[in-house]
Amino acid sequence: MAELNPQPLPPGGGQHVRVYVPADVTYDLAKMQKVTANVLGRLGCGGCHSGRILDFVTLQDYVVHPQTLEVQPVTTPQGT
Amino acid sequence: MKPLGVGLVYWPPLDPLIDRAGEAISVLELEPEGLWEKISDGCGGWQYRENTTILDRLASLTHAKLLHGVAHPFAGTTPDPIDPWPLLRHAVERLEPVWVSEHLSFNRVLRDGDVDHAGFLLPPPQTPAAVRVAAHNIDAYRRALARPVAFETGVNYLRPNDGELDDGSFFAMVSQGADCGILLDLHNVWCNERNGRRRVAEVLDCLPLDRVWELHLAGGMDDFGFRLDAHSGLVPPEVIDIAAEVIPRLPRLGALIFEILPEHVPIVGLDGIERQLEDMWQLWSLRHPVEVSADGCMGERAPNVIAGADDMAEVARVEAELVGRLRTGGRSTGDDVAADPDPGVAALRELIADFRRGSVARLLHYTLTALLLELGPRGTRELLDAYFQAHPPEPFAAVEADHFASFLRLRLAQLPTAPFVEEVLSYEHALIRATTYQESTELHWSADPIQLFEALDAGKLPGAVPAMSSRMLVRAD
Repeated sequence: MAELNPQPLPPGGGQHVRVYVPADVTYDLAKMQKVTANVLGRLGCGGCHSGRILDFVTLQDYVVHPQTLEVQPVTTPQGT
Repeated sequence: MKPLGVGLVYWPPLDPLIDRAGEAISVLELEPEGLWEKISDGCGGWQYRENTTILDRLASLTHAKLLHGVAHPFAGTTPDPIDPWPLLRHAVERLEPVWVSEHLSFNRVLRDGDVDHAGFLLPPPQTPAAVRVAAHNIDAYRRALARPVAFETGVNYLRPNDGELDDGSFFAMVSQGADCGILLDLHNVWCNERNGRRRVAEVLDCLPLDRVWELHLAGGMDDFGFRLDAHSGLVPPEVIDIAAEVIPRLPRLGALIFEILPEHVPIVGLDGIERQLEDMWQLWSLRHPVEVSADGCMGERAPNVIAGADDMAEVARVEAELVGRLRTGGRSTGDDVAADPDPGVAALRELIADFRRGSVARLLHYTLTALLLELGPRGTRELLDAYFQAHPPEPFAAVEADHFASFLRLRLAQLPTAPFVEEVLSYEHALIRATTYQESTELHWSADPIQLFEALDAGKLPGAVPAMSSRMLVRAD
């Protein structure tokens, strides 16, 4: 299998998450690597706060493209 | 010891500002646990792992440093079941903070012999027993890290209890009992006044102001009838006015720190934060130009008060009772929330649910987007509420997301979702389990994953994606 990364684990420490795909896949491996890095980049703890954490509200109301940071309204099913 | 000046709590999105600001930022405060992950130790237990990359980056900066703990608060009676001291000591060794601080709060209790995470930094009972418990914990923290220690004056959304110490007297007694410094969070005490607790002026009049080494300034928001300490924006003018009034009265003020959570940095903008720091330097100029000293606060002697077993038991009982009230009713939203005579309990329930939804949304971004698109906001919230009913809070986002992913996988077959949702969930879950448990997972895609992710990034259901079978192996090594 072809190796898509390695992706360093967010905290470092010499460990990696590796994603392998067959050599004959036809989808865009560079884009897949960006998606993987995005997911792993969100690992880690929250900071000091004593108020609202709005990640879900933001996701509910909008979808923010992780590369361009363009905001798109979510198209939700009618009646929900 | 020279005063440290003006600075901010460090987050990576602030790096460009830190690099260009020069002397406009003279001190950086790091929240050490914010850089940790909770991972399997390979033997059925857990351990913490630090972010060495960010720690190295911070250590290389010439700014003065402070450490501000966020996960081992001073008012609790239940120790962390995972040993935090090696990583806390390592952060102290690398950054050499002039002093360290933590919250005068609690975040875990014992329930049936097991550690139960509260899901939030909660206010302690304000009693003489709680004063002695906090003094004991502050002394232990000071000895473990061999640094002067200050506690942060916390926000408290609950109504004042008859028979308890008022806010200012409680803070004063803890600082004197522990012989420690005070991190006076002016946004917190202002929120407390706005939410019906003691007036800021009354709190300040009670405090031993010569123990205030550090001020925190932050912004927040109004929601569900409360002023919330959300660290979501610039400092309100009212808090700036309070700072201008109090700073000349603080003979040992050593640092003035601005707090903002990283997700709000793009909204305020780096230029906006830079202007905030300029305003804070104006405030800094109001202080008396004296040397700062933490002499007598290094733990050479025992704290002035001693916590006994009765104190621990009394405080543990009250803290467990509050956590029980927060769990009663279960649902975070809706009409069937169990009524509690204190409206602050409902606010805390919602804030805890917010925190948990945020963890899941960050770590399972594509899965949650797909659920919102397929089930709608109400259906997705109901699913999350069912999960919250079944599982207690988990402070580390990856572990919370792992628990939700496992919960969802058992229910997905009964939900009206398209097959691609399971594949997206499996992929995100595999990445989380690789980092948290060092597990390998083989995945199967029935369609081009890039087309799926691009549609979700655009806030749309993928529609008719041509079938394309492929395998993927996610492995940690």
